[in-house]
Amino acid sequence: MRQLPWLSLLIFWPLVAACCLPLSRGDATACRRFALLAALGELALAGLIAVLFAGPQPDLPVIEDLAWIPSLGIRYSLSLDGLSLIFVVLTALIGVCCMVASRHDDAKRPALYYALILAALSTVQGIFLASDLFLFALFWEAQLIPVFFLIGIFGHGDRMRVAIKFFLFSATGGLLMFLAVIALGILAANGPTGPTFALTDLTHAAVPVTVGRWLFAAFVLSFAIKIPLVPVHMWLPDAHTEAPTAGSLILAGLLLKTGGYALIRFALPLFPEAAHTFAPLLTALGIIGLFYASAVALAQEDVKRLIAYSSIGHMGLAVAAIVSGSRLALGGAVVLMVSHALTSGGLFSLAGMIGERLGSRRFEILGGLWNKAPRFGAAFLFCILASAALPGLSGFVGEAMIVFGLFKTHIWVGVLAVAGMAVTLVYLLRLARDTLFGPARSPLPFADLNARETALLCALAVCILLLGLFPGPVLSLAAGPLDSIAGLVWPAATPGL
Amino acid sequence: MTAQLVLYFPHLSLALGGLVILLAACLRRTPATLFPILAGVFAALPGLWSLAGPTGASGIGCYYAGLLSVITLATVALTARYAARRGFAGDALYGLVLWSALGMLLLAASDDWLMLIVGLELASLCLYAVVASRLSDPLGTEAALKYFLPGAMSLAVLVFGAALVYAGSGSLIIADSLAAGGPIVSAGLALALIGIGFKLSLAPVHLWTPDVYQGAPAPIAAFLSTGSKAATAAALLHLCAEASPEARELLWPALAGVAGLTMAAGNIGALCQKSVKRILAYSSIAQMGYIAMAAMAVNDGGGEAALFYLAAFALMDLGAFGAVGLLSGEIGDRDDVTAYQGLGYVHPWRAGALAISLLSLAGLPPTAGFIGKFLVFGAALRAGYVGLAAFGIVTAVIGIFYALRVVAALYMQSGVEAHPAIPAPAGPAGGLALGVMAAGVLALGLFPQSLLGAIAALFGGG
Repeated sequence: MRQLPWLSLLIFWPLVAACCLPLSRGDATACRRFALLAALGELALAGLIAVLFAGPQPDLPVIEDLAWIPSLGIRYSLSLDGLSLIFVVLTALIGVCCMVASRHDDAKRPALYYALILAALSTVQGIFLASDLFLFALFWEAQLIPVFFLIGIFGHGDRMRVAIKFFLFSATGGLLMFLAVIALGILAANGPTGPTFALTDLTHAAVPVTVGRWLFAAFVLSFAIKIPLVPVHMWLPDAHTEAPTAGSLILAGLLLKTGGYALIRFALPLFPEAAHTFAPLLTALGIIGLFYASAVALAQEDVKRLIAYSSIGHMGLAVAAIVSGSRLALGGAVVLMVSHALTSGGLFSLAGMIGERLGSRRFEILGGLWNKAPRFGAAFLFCILASAALPGLSGFVGEAMIVFGLFKTHIWVGVLAVAGMAVTLVYLLRLARDTLFGPARSPLPFADLNARETALLCALAVCILLLGLFPGPVLSLAAGPLDSIAGLVWPAATPGL
Repeated sequence: MTAQLVLYFPHLSLALGGLVILLAACLRRTPATLFPILAGVFAALPGLWSLAGPTGASGIGCYYAGLLSVITLATVALTARYAARRGFAGDALYGLVLWSALGMLLLAASDDWLMLIVGLELASLCLYAVVASRLSDPLGTEAALKYFLPGAMSLAVLVFGAALVYAGSGSLIIADSLAAGGPIVSAGLALALIGIGFKLSLAPVHLWTPDVYQGAPAPIAAFLSTGSKAATAAALLHLCAEASPEARELLWPALAGVAGLTMAAGNIGALCQKSVKRILAYSSIAQMGYIAMAAMAVNDGGGEAALFYLAAFALMDLGAFGAVGLLSGEIGDRDDVTAYQGLGYVHPWRAGALAISLLSLAGLPPTAGFIGKFLVFGAALRAGYVGLAAFGIVTAVIGIFYALRVVAALYMQSGVEAHPAIPAPAGPAGGLALGVMAAGVLALGLFPQSLLGAIAALFGGG
């Protein structure tokens, strides 16, 4: 079984499907069906890989390693360990959600729309699987292109400007990281391994302290823009507001997660010393982000914008947890990121449905939706509560682990994190109040969820519940890789779960 | 004698090609379609020669013969139908293109100052005429004049520089004369670099470029920006590689400033342009800044990097200008950015080639531009120009912006009704050349090893 190129299949299956889509460009129904089948195929593939290699007899990591540009020491090397597997399955799941999220956005050019979504999935899988730094940088830049077109062609309002803004923000960070990757390769080329970009080799490369700090800064700037951390978050609310629903799902569910994943996978083990030095700064930015996003979210007039700011808050908390030095909080950050992908996916889908039904997502025309559409209301409230970390739902597990971990390492950070979560509640409950309850402020009818939408939200709800009630499998999957990373960065403190 | 013939086969074939075309025009019954075919055949010969890997030829010479052959062939293919539809095809056009390719080949592979000057001048003189070949078009004539005046200036400076080098060293062989060192030689080298900088449109002597590229017919602009630039950059690389340490110490800070200024001027200059050809011109200025940066690091792997980047740049610029030419209506070239709105859906193949070329110019994966940037910046970092590399990366972000502007116009706006100019038919050769360029950009981006391996072999064997 191991001989099959499973990981390449994961990356290139959606891309091949995307290239086949134009064949049926005349027929919207055929496009939708084909794209859904392709995404389901990807999910099945991810599930199969999970069963085969992480099942009763775990056989991780799965590795593929081929020479690509031998004269530069660049290899096409992919590796799937427990941490990657979590995000690979998440990507495939969000991919399926994208395919059923909207029947409005794809009306213009269905084939192109679904092809772009599939291409985005392919590049994101590449990020989660790459274990060669050059390959990672390539996928990191490449992931922007499909999302750029997705927002720019299928978005609303001022979509072109927003798409370019998104691209430029991300590319600035991406190019600086690209330069840092080159520099790291040059430093390592003098070492015993010769020219190499393999993550494992570079982890042990001798990098001078000052240089290491600069390179770490370049890496982290790139990741921080993607996460997004507070001073470089400006692209996110705009991008979400104008993006089509599937674009929002990809942005919040996948692109933001690539930032967090890359921080754990690349920035920490490559530059442990710099990670220690910059940890207070990153913690401060994360916590500031939590409060700032809550304050700004409260003032938003657009449902999608509010949810976008909630993403900034949650990811800020995740960053504070990742660099805190607590193994518990690190595990919590992974769970929080997965949970956030699921809940924000649900919320963005629902916000997209509001926009499709009413033509606007402004709070002034919302209210009383529970009475008009009870199933919609229930789903919305469920996602809000999951986002607010109600015990039993997925958000709770991650936030509880983070808080316990933070209290152990830095008590004040823990206190601030708890306070930040409390502030989060304010705007989330305001979101529930102003959309679901109170008098209806729009005379337009509001159809309840149809079968497609119900299926989408039920699937997400099941995942949220499962993660909330049985986080064990996810935690144990991530345990191995996280242990080794934490052991590398914080050798002194590695208490078990 | 045979060995000499083999060695100079590319030069002979290009020179003969031009003559044959002019002679064929004297015969009364020669059909006009014969000229591009003849030109294509003679342009392809140096490429076949370099593929055969003749004994005794230098690796660098082989490389440039191959590269220039591809560029000339693509130019002829892109020009064929374009010129015929617009009534400026003829024997002179193709003959001059071949002869200017000969000049470029001499320039690129010259070991001798006089050869360098002769090659540069042969290439330029033919190009002045080619730029103005569309007689009915006042913009083209203006472009030719604007190309001629800085060209004459640069020749004067270059000749004076070469004279100083000769005076200081007593040798006309480039390697020997530069190795001699001394203040006069350094001064001469500085003047020679300025002369080459004119031709390479390095800032601050780059201002002629946008006007000329805008005025020249699109396929000819492609030839100018790829062939002439590749050959001149080859000369720059050669001079930089041979420069003595003391000359380096003196001149390299200035060259670093010029490289940085060129990147900034090219990328920032393109920001506010409304004309696609001007945007491409500024973009090619910026690319030359990256080449200049690689030339400074020529002994730290910059030579290989620059050779790869030149090939990648040739493909993407031929693709971009070629697509502009093939998308143009019969009267003028399609130039305004707004005239490209929505073309991505109306002419998916040609617009797709343009988009791929633009993304490659912006240095995005999975294109040749990405690998090229990787190599060039790697060489700069290895040689210790960290600040320049960081500055270059920041300007590259600006480069992404204007490339995206054009791509966004192609795909994100629907405005075809406002600009109903229907492109003239591309012709099989033009379409094929464009497709090959776009495919080549992608192929070099995904599988760069083939070209990198060839370049490494040239350096090893050369």
